[in-house]
Amino acid sequence: MNSIANRFSTTGPISELRKAQFHVEDDEFADSVWGSEAGFGSLAKGVPNFTVPSVSDPSAFLRLHTDDFADPNCRIKIQHGTTTLAFRFQGGVIVAVDSRATAGSYVASGTVKKVIEINPYLLGTMAGGAADCQYWETYLGIHCRLHELRNRERISVSAASKYLSNLVYSYKGMGLSMGTMICGWDKTGPAVFYVDSDGTRLKGDMFSVGSGSTFAYGVLDQGYRWDLTDEEAQELGRRSIYAAGHRDAFSGNTCNLYHVKEDGWKFIGNYDISKLHYDGPGETPGAGYGYGVRIERNSAAAAATSITVQA
Amino acid sequence: MSRRYDSRTTIFSPEGRLYQIEYAMEAISHAGTVLGVLAKDGVVLAAEKKVTGKLLDLSGAKEGGYGGSGEKIFLLNSNVIGGVAGLTADANSLINYARSAAQQHLLQYNEDIPVELLAQRLCDMKQGYTQYGGLRPFGVSLLYAGYDQHYQFQLYHSDPSGNYSGWKATCIGANNGTAQSLLKQEYKDDIEVKAAISLVLKTMSKTMDSTTLGSEKLEFAVITLDPETKLPKAKIYKPDEIDELLQAEGLAKKEDDNAMKS
Amino acid sequence: METSFAITGKGYVIVASDTTAARSIVKMKTDEDKIKVVSPHLLMSYSGEPGDTLQFAEYVERNLRLFHIRNNYSLRPSAAASWIRRSLAQSLRSRKPYSVNLMLGGFDVTADTPHLYWIDYLGTMTEVPFGAHGYGSYFALSLLDRYHDPEATLEEGLVTLKRCIDEVAKRLVVSPGKYKIKVVDKDGAREIEM
Repeated sequence: MNSIANRFSTTGPISELRKAQFHVEDDEFADSVWGSEAGFGSLAKGVPNFTVPSVSDPSAFLRLHTDDFADPNCRIKIQHGTTTLAFRFQGGVIVAVDSRATAGSYVASGTVKKVIEINPYLLGTMAGGAADCQYWETYLGIHCRLHELRNRERISVSAASKYLSNLVYSYKGMGLSMGTMICGWDKTGPAVFYVDSDGTRLKGDMFSVGSGSTFAYGVLDQGYRWDLTDEEAQELGRRSIYAAGHRDAFSGNTCNLYHVKEDGWKFIGNYDISKLHYDGPGETPGAGYGYGVRIERNSAAAAATSITVQA
Repeated sequence: MSRRYDSRTTIFSPEGRLYQIEYAMEAISHAGTVLGVLAKDGVVLAAEKKVTGKLLDLSGAKEGGYGGSGEKIFLLNSNVIGGVAGLTADANSLINYARSAAQQHLLQYNEDIPVELLAQRLCDMKQGYTQYGGLRPFGVSLLYAGYDQHYQFQLYHSDPSGNYSGWKATCIGANNGTAQSLLKQEYKDDIEVKAAISLVLKTMSKTMDSTTLGSEKLEFAVITLDPETKLPKAKIYKPDEIDELLQAEGLAKKEDDNAMKS
Repeated sequence: METSFAITGKGYVIVASDTTAARSIVKMKTDEDKIKVVSPHLLMSYSGEPGDTLQFAEYVERNLRLFHIRNNYSLRPSAAASWIRRSLAQSLRSRKPYSVNLMLGGFDVTADTPHLYWIDYLGTMTEVPFGAHGYGSYFALSLLDRYHDPEATLEEGLVTLKRCIDEVAKRLVVSPGKYKIKVVDKDGAREIEM
């Protein structure tokens, strides 16, 4: 239509007009319209761009070089085995993780930090690709800070997790592998969100992610109550990670424990899982979480009572 | 002084006016009259044809599909008829655009385009031509008579600036002031189509320059609901149907008039 | 396994969806709402590829809201359904299609009629008196063929829906636990506790 007008017009404004006309045909919007840019769309361009390998099919390329199940000699090995957990209770949020990194059947490291300290009020956990989690959660930290500067208030856990989920969703199908919990405290109180590289984002009271998550759930679900005391909650987190570290071959070494309260997170401690098995969190031999240790303790206690009864 | 601002559509004059738009509106006030009346159960549209003459080939209008001579009244979609006043060539381009927009809506939503939405679509385009440099605004005003499920029967008017408004009865083109004051006096809120047809023809006969009405000077259309399907039914009258109607209303010219001409 | 049902009745549509969010063998959440109220008289239940589901539902929700803001009225259910179907069909031919199955229940306030649309991720759409997605559909469809009544009152409709839920709980190996139930009629959309 109006082809005569269009023929005479090659300048910028005309193409603007043409765009206005095409509104009839289409209602599409730039990504920045949907994202919460806080009116700073020109500073941060919607969903950020990340360079992908310059091959025709980046995800096939990645699969070819990372699939250690099909090809044990593949060059890049992605960390798969993990146990992480987080739960909300009366006293805040407990975050507990193991510290083992495996590459195939090889334990690559036993001292991995799987809790990413995004800022003093936000924690992210790491499961799946270690680099993916580390990079994008640090990146999330940058944007949380920018949000603070622009809006003069801290970002909510909900908004931060939504930012991350929109971000990973834009890379869906390209090989990202993340299963993370974004935990923190905001105006609404303690909050936990599960975000993964499928683009799933769930709000909830309790999550566990990784190959050992089923073992962790087994202990966690049975011991959980909303009105747990701080000490009970920390103990529950620790025991659950111990359980997974003990039963899951791809999880273990040590347990890192964090507690998020109204004034931000606090690192509670690092616990050797073998030591937890025999001695528990303290320095008392025989007070461990292990099955055999517990049974022995019980029978000793029974013997002790029977002795007292006899006496 | 003001001449410096005349030739640019996009530039305000020091008094804050856009001359090209005003000139376009001026052009329209000399064009053939188009008149619309909204009734309870339909909308009536009539237009004065300017291009006449006995050598003009009107066989298309006499036998053609939708009726009308294709000068002033057009079917925009099955539920909307449009009447145009102004530059006919500009109008053709707008009508084409309106028809495409209506089809686009049908494709996307599987329903007839709501009347106001269609008017909005055209106005978005018309407005564009008042802002971007080097272009001339459309020298066309339109009346849209239509039906949709949201607001039932409706009558809209849009002008070259891209403004639009809804009306119970309105008129554009030559003598629109006279016609509008006549309509204001005669219009009743619960008017029905039959009375609206009489009102339109009566007003037309008083506003048009010629003393007698006939199909060679008049286009006429009505949109109503089909009593069986409950769907809108647009009817653009063919020349002999118009003459028949005028006859029934007692507004037709006398037989000897015809004899004198031939 | 994800399951959703929807049935029409006299002047209403009921939409029900399970509330589990699962990842491999683990239930991550058991109270997830998978029915969105996308406009005042329109309900949409969604299931399918994790991530896609919510992203697509929010895309629909915001576009319908935009239409409402621009025009001061909402799209009628049939128009909204056509638009949603078209969006899915266009997405199917894109580099990264949305894999989402939908049940769309709405009440047309201009004609005072309830409408229900069954839409799958390939862009298939059909208007139905009742419908279901997921493993539950293998049990519910025959049941509804036998018991559904388009003239049923809301109470009767809910009884029929209960039959579906109970049947799936009885026969499906991995039956979902709780359901969320929403209804839309001339007064708009609301949630119903059973």
